Amino acid sequence: MILHYTCPSCAGDMNFDADTGKLTCRSCGRKDTIENYPEEMIKATFAEDETNEYHCNNCGAVLITLAETTATNCSFCQSAVVIADRLSGSLAPSKVIPFTISEKEAVKAFKKWCGRGLLMPKDFMMSERVKTITGMYVPFWLYDINSNSKVQAVGTVVRTYTKGDYIYTETSYFDVMREINLNYTKIPADASEKMNDDLMDKLEPFPFNELKDFKTPYLAGYIAEKYNYTDKEMMPRIEKRVKEYVDTFIAGELSNYSTVSYKTKDIDIKQKNSAYVLLPVWMIYHDYNNSEYIFAMNGHTGKVVGRPPLSKGKAAAWFGGIAAGAFLIMKGIAVLIGGGYL
Amino acid sequence: MLKKLLPLFLLIVALWHQSAYAESANQKQYIFDYANLLTANEKKELEEFAKELSADYKTAFIILTVNGTNGNGIEKYMGDFYDNEALGYNKPHGNTAILSIDIQERDVYLAGFKKAKVYLDSGRLTVIRERLTPSLSKGDYYDAFRYFIKASHEYMGYEPNSILFRWWFQLGVGILVAAIIVGWMAYSSGGKMTTTERDYFDPNGSGITKKQDRYLRTTVTKVKKPSNKSGGGSSGGGTTSGGHSYSGSGGKF
Repeated sequence: MILHYTCPSCAGDMNFDADTGKLTCRSCGRKDTIENYPEEMIKATFAEDETNEYHCNNCGAVLITLAETTATNCSFCQSAVVIADRLSGSLAPSKVIPFTISEKEAVKAFKKWCGRGLLMPKDFMMSERVKTITGMYVPFWLYDINSNSKVQAVGTVVRTYTKGDYIYTETSYFDVMREINLNYTKIPADASEKMNDDLMDKLEPFPFNELKDFKTPYLAGYIAEKYNYTDKEMMPRIEKRVKEYVDTFIAGELSNYSTVSYKTKDIDIKQKNSAYVLLPVWMIYHDYNNSEYIFAMNGHTGKVVGRPPLSKGKAAAWFGGIAAGAFLIMKGIAVLIGGGYL
Repeated sequence: MLKKLLPLFLLIVALWHQSAYAESANQKQYIFDYANLLTANEKKELEEFAKELSADYKTAFIILTVNGTNGNGIEKYMGDFYDNEALGYNKPHGNTAILSIDIQERDVYLAGFKKAKVYLDSGRLTVIRERLTPSLSKGDYYDAFRYFIKASHEYMGYEPNSILFRWWFQLGVGILVAAIIVGWMAYSSGGKMTTTERDYFDPNGSGITKKQDRYLRTTVTKVKKPSNKSGGGSSGGGTTSGGHSYSGSGGKF
């Protein structure tokens, strides 16, 4: 791993100057002590002969392994044609959450999950072995976000009361203004093109307090995918998500009004920081009825996501049972109200 | 699987609709003409008519006429009469539809007990009462009583107005509930998103920086309380002193 110290002022490269004992920027002359240098500005790249990069000719996936590991199959499409390349100089992840679930535990947890699948075909649940299971570090960007919102709205408070023969409805109108500053930390977005975004979102939560500084030995025995998108490219997805969060916050803040009609709602979302991290995911491939089903498991919590096959028979049985039960309950209610004569 | 369950469904539906009443008739007399509004012949004819139609739905159709109620009012009198005489076709205090008249106050009150309370709800009783009031006003008591028995009998053949009692509605609700639950099961079988903004919210430095709630104005609107009185009559029903609840509709003629 080679660490680059980027200049906070001009983004040039900083070198360590032995005479002053400080990091010095070659372009603008800025000096920083190593202790004061902001950690998030450190950029790590892979050194030569440290890692290998594999390109899959079949599906286009780009995988990273330790230099000693030779990938023979693509983890995504299982295709055997992969071309190795050296990876020196490209951006290395800054943090990683290591796997805490071993392959054996992962298979066991997957079987257990299958056992709970109420609509899965029986032979799918019972099948003894999974076809393939691969431990993979999936590239994610973690964003620290600051949002500044300004809301102007008209809120109403409605009170009804009865006096004499009339029902009165009293509506009070308020001019409402809020300025809200909200911070969010470590919102993840997967930077992999191959991974389904919805699937990866469902894998959350990852325990970000378990993040470790990335070192190449963490890759031993696993495969990492190289990021396909930069943090700037993934930002629209994060913005959409944060906007929903802020909307929820605003609605909660104004919940004491009966109705709220917004006049203006400006939500400004800024990226404070982003970090390139690897998160542990078990990819499980399972064959059933001549088609392949792909599942992903959170390598730290064991949460499984992925669409299993559905058994029509089981769905029909549940449907029939619930329909009959609900019908009887409705009958019961009718009998209670009707006095037992229906 | 669905094919196997369908016959079971139909069986359940069929069983519910074949409620069998095995008890013998409790009701021996149907016309209680204490105000002597009918001739002996009319009385006999109505008695036969009521007896015949009462059997169809195991519901006694009763005519009650009085001349004064000691200030109790016809509704209370009718309720006490039901309690004391233990009216009902299937059993004492059973299914009964009753037309009661106080000729002194020119009050008419229609009530339904038990099964008749459900089928002849207050709305239906009001419809019947409004149709027979002109005959009562003219003094055509025989026609009015006959109409009451005939119309009540007819309404007993249709399921109650409330949609809640329709079997197809109940079945529909069942199917809808099942569709929603199974649909949700299928949807969530692939895992759900479990993180919310709370997982990523950083309270540090977060909050409301400026806030204003300025009062603008208040408007007041009023609407008249809805009343269920119709055509000078009253409908609603109640409970007799003996604790039997009924649907009812009353008015003047």
